[in-house]
Amino acid sequence: MAVSTVYTVQIQSLNSISTPSKSHLGFNQLLYSSGKKTRRATHISCSADNDKTVVIGLAADSGCGKSTFMRRLTSVFGGAAEPPKGGNPDSNTLISDMTTVICLDDYHSLDRNGRKEKGVTALDPKANDFDLMYEQVKAVKEGIAVDKPIYNHVTGLIDPPELIKPPKIFVIEGLHPMYDARVRELLDFSIYLDISPEVKFAWKIQRDMAERGHSLESIKASIEARKPDFDAYIDPQKQYADAVIEVLPTQLIPDDEGKVLRVRLIMKEGVKYFNPVYLFDEGSTISWVPCGRKLTCSYPGIKFAYGPETYFGHEVSVLEMDGQFDRLDELIYVESHLSNISTKFYGEVTQQMLKHADFPGSNNGTGLFQTIVGLKIRDLYEQIVASKVAAPLEATKA
Amino acid sequence: MASSLSLTPFNFRPHPRFSPPSSSSLPRSGRKPAAGVRSEMKIYKGTRIREQRLTEMIEQKVAEAKQVCGEDETSDECKVAWDEVEEVSQAKADLRLKIHHLQQDPLEHFCQENPETDECRIYED
Repeated sequence: MAVSTVYTVQIQSLNSISTPSKSHLGFNQLLYSSGKKTRRATHISCSADNDKTVVIGLAADSGCGKSTFMRRLTSVFGGAAEPPKGGNPDSNTLISDMTTVICLDDYHSLDRNGRKEKGVTALDPKANDFDLMYEQVKAVKEGIAVDKPIYNHVTGLIDPPELIKPPKIFVIEGLHPMYDARVRELLDFSIYLDISPEVKFAWKIQRDMAERGHSLESIKASIEARKPDFDAYIDPQKQYADAVIEVLPTQLIPDDEGKVLRVRLIMKEGVKYFNPVYLFDEGSTISWVPCGRKLTCSYPGIKFAYGPETYFGHEVSVLEMDGQFDRLDELIYVESHLSNISTKFYGEVTQQMLKHADFPGSNNGTGLFQTIVGLKIRDLYEQIVASKVAAPLEATKA
Repeated sequence: MASSLSLTPFNFRPHPRFSPPSSSSLPRSGRKPAAGVRSEMKIYKGTRIREQRLTEMIEQKVAEAKQVCGEDETSDECKVAWDEVEEVSQAKADLRLKIHHLQQDPLEHFCQENPETDECRIYED
């Protein structure tokens, strides 16, 4: 099947250049010469266009598509992610050259009124149409465009659908990307963003305290009321994730404002195309404080840890950063000591972090690990594409 | 060790997740310039209305939740009410992020095509 795909494409490109004024180019020359038409031919045969799309799942309880994680990820691939032009202004979708990010709230089966009537929160699986989610994600993965509903977070209604064309990288973000087993099977890579209660509280205070109507009590009450459903339906997904980013309060100093963070990147071992990041010596246990003679850090400093652990019965490697960066050279120094970060050039992590220095988390492990996960996803994508190209070439040699 | 690597001014000052628009002292990633780097922002009327609507909804839904939960804290109605508060709070924060930090007004494309509609009048603080 893969072999015939390659042949079809080549025939198409032959047709496209068979004008009388052009000189005849042989089959082999089409593939290897450097003319404009040839470049188009090789591009077509190597791209994932006619083939499946790579699907990434991100579980997060912080709204959709605007999260800084998504923006860092799309930035790694180049280009800014923007809402679809000319569509519903309340669309949650983000599109860049290589990636499309959709919000799984779009698969709510009950709108705000419906949920109120039935007495279910948005966290409850009963409020979501997993059959449709599975159907559509499967279709996009197989290269078929779909008309996806839009859940409007302003009005609380389900708006008319928007067309989603299969991108190279399809990211599904929301509360339940790994809840349904069928959808889980479609994911090439999955991430869970695990925010500890103290940090969640601190972030929501920062988010909401300026709002009329909110107070410490209301913010607290909202978190408490949602906790049972969150614990029952959302939290258990983390056992399925290939990577978990755990955000905790710092252990370096007493800090109850959630400003200094301890962030753990928990990476599953044995995941295809995914080689966990490590410090110094893979598989060993390391504790590292980079600040010292070569590097002066400002208060409260930076502390790293790395080592093998077990997570819900799986072998994992954990890379941890506690503290924050205050200067460029701290970031470069740290980057130069990490291994398996899948950068294409020295300083790429630092460059990406600088690009988004105004995003939250740019000075701590959240930004660092989100950026690194973005690079790992790029690496995963390139490996998947390379493996698809290799298969037909192998067959033609035979 | 001196920061001899002098790239763009590097300001890693930690700032709250969704800071008010006036704290625009952090480096931008070079997208289209804001209309003056001050707290006043040019946005479309339709977007301003959406923002105000969300503000009102937050207030209203918090009051509703307090009332419903006052009757029975463990009821489904109570948790749904607070879930609604969370939903609109997040929607408001997302909108603020778009307008004030990302310069991506949701009505941008629509208003470029239809500048004469009422929604697309420029609103200046």
